[in-house]
Amino acid sequence: VTGPSLDQARRPPLRQLLAGRKVICCVGSGGVGKTTTSAALALRLAVEGQRVLVLTIDPARRLANALGLSALGNRETPISLHPLEPEGVHAKGTLHAMVLDLKLAWDDLIHREARTPEHARQVLANRLYQTLSTVLAGSLEYMATERVAELSKSGRYDVIVLDTPPTTNALDFLEAPDKLLDVLDNDAMRVLLGPLLKAGRFGLRFFALPSSIVLGTLAKFTGASFLEDVAGFLVAFEGLYDGFKRRAAEVKRLLASPEAAFVLVTSPSPLTIEEALFFHRTLRESRIGTAAVVVNRVQRDPRRFGGPEQQAALAEALQQARLSDGPGTPAPGEPPLDDGSAPLSQRLARTLEEQAALADLDRREIERLAHALSGVPLYTVPRLRKDVHDLAGLWQMEQAAEAPE
Amino acid sequence: VSAAAPATSAPQAHALLGKRLVVFTGKGGTGKSTLSAALALAAASQGMKVLVCEVTARERVSELFGSEPAGTELRQLRPHLWAVHVRPREAMHEYGVMKLRSETIYNLVFERKVVRYFLKAAPSLAEITMLGKVCWHAAKDVDYRGQPTWDLVILDAPATGHGLTLLTVPEVFLGLVTEGPLAADMTWMQALLRDPARTSVCVTALPEEMPVNEAIELRAALQQHRLPVGPVFLNSAFATRFTRAERSAVAMAGPLLSAAGEAADAHEARAELTFRYRAALREAVGEALVEVPHQFDRHFGAAALERIGKAIAGSL
Repeated sequence: VTGPSLDQARRPPLRQLLAGRKVICCVGSGGVGKTTTSAALALRLAVEGQRVLVLTIDPARRLANALGLSALGNRETPISLHPLEPEGVHAKGTLHAMVLDLKLAWDDLIHREARTPEHARQVLANRLYQTLSTVLAGSLEYMATERVAELSKSGRYDVIVLDTPPTTNALDFLEAPDKLLDVLDNDAMRVLLGPLLKAGRFGLRFFALPSSIVLGTLAKFTGASFLEDVAGFLVAFEGLYDGFKRRAAEVKRLLASPEAAFVLVTSPSPLTIEEALFFHRTLRESRIGTAAVVVNRVQRDPRRFGGPEQQAALAEALQQARLSDGPGTPAPGEPPLDDGSAPLSQRLARTLEEQAALADLDRREIERLAHALSGVPLYTVPRLRKDVHDLAGLWQMEQAAEAPE
Repeated sequence: VSAAAPATSAPQAHALLGKRLVVFTGKGGTGKSTLSAALALAAASQGMKVLVCEVTARERVSELFGSEPAGTELRQLRPHLWAVHVRPREAMHEYGVMKLRSETIYNLVFERKVVRYFLKAAPSLAEITMLGKVCWHAAKDVDYRGQPTWDLVILDAPATGHGLTLLTVPEVFLGLVTEGPLAADMTWMQALLRDPARTSVCVTALPEEMPVNEAIELRAALQQHRLPVGPVFLNSAFATRFTRAERSAVAMAGPLLSAAGEAADAHEARAELTFRYRAALREAVGEALVEVPHQFDRHFGAAALERIGKAIAGSL
């Protein structure tokens, strides 16, 4: 039985592939170990001697978990790499980590971009702004890219590893800056809301219907006060557009440049493989190459050792080894067994069959992925015996990704 | 019952099959769609008429049943079991036409580029109409006799953050707007979503550190928003099958039993994780825990869903 049908020995080490990049975006669907992979990559680059920041958008403390911390703040937090010394690893660089607090990041941005403190206060006080900054679709993704560009420019780091939000659509992430600008910087919208804005600088000539009728119909749904809020919001945002636009363009340029690398993270489950392929296509449509794909939690195939699999043959092997082939009796303090009354050989045969099924499923999916992504280096990380929630665990995970099958 | 004994049956108090609306949310990849489908199958097999609503970008439930995507029209997947894919634009259209009682006016107003921009900017109008459609099926969809069309509506909701955003959209909206028809609709939707007699929001988890932490936090957040929480579903559970003595004996037995020993070790590693996270969940949520055994199918489909349905039937 061989590993995935790709030449793992010939692929370059992941760190070599990512050398010289300023931004590494880990993309993929939720629940595939993207945060852990981001942290492991960041750790590797820090050990190699770079000044690294790993940034997550996740409010659910996953990065803190993975780094073995109980919580991480909205500020750049230095991570001590001393816990790796017992592993024989002496880091040459530094590692920082931070969680992006969406609300605070928005407020910071408004303060930076506003013309005057009074203007900032006006925006921050708008009721719509208060919900916008937490719920507007794409704002999460926008803030992430915006923050990366800013931190990258700061010069404090050689490389920033971004754990992207678990969007189901890669486009959300790539197009977030455009989408947000579309919404905020839209003359058409100001035309629509003209009567409410009392600005009237565009007149009503774009409409077949008077905009008051359009507005009236909308008001039937939302209530007039809501529309007034939207208008007030747009007025308050006036003057912020240009800053937004400039920064969004910078972010886009950075992400599409060779200084950025996209690492596709997935697990071998069919649904997430499907999503990984979708991500890859979307990236390609945006003319962005997938630098590497990392498949986490790959089941090891127990059959790689050979040996008997059928119950009768296992029973014989147990007999040869002078082992009892009886029911399992838990020692005091051990949990009760599932199906413990069955002979050991039967339980072993069933487990082999199940584990082999898991390995077959994973192999089938990885082959499908490797085939569709031919040319993209693929790294598999075996399912680890223990959860990763400290630096040593992260390091082992990173080592496993580098090891050939 | 010790804290770590397998959760074979949760208290009947949750009585998921007695609700109008059951919602599944949780970390991505923890089995929201699978459990939505399995619960639907379990309910349908008791003769209940069930509708599964999916709101995420990609349909999964119909795929699990081996059917073509259901699309935005109601589609029957099994006897008594229907599915629908709720998408923002279609939901908005349906809602708009219903309110205006005119397709023409809707198209004139809502299908304009300008207005579509507006709808994008106005916070959460997409979520409002999507959730509105789901709630309507659960609370207002009646046949000619005035009887509810559906015995149970199941919402396969988005993952944690987006799921919470969706479920709290009436609260957010009502904080902004209190007048107008939309506000009136938000009011009855909120009443349905917060009514423990009619609604239950179930969180899914896997026996791993991060999904379990996320499940515990999500459940607390749901409660904070006064949403009635159902049990946590611990998916993909492994049961202890070997004693420590058996495993070390097999490991020492030499190369002939290497594969079997490796398989047993891999199995027990996952059983240990199940054991640990079951205990962590028990500590956080008490008895409100339903365990779903891992399925080893090489082709995951209706047969696996039926097995899951049977495994959780005692807890429904």
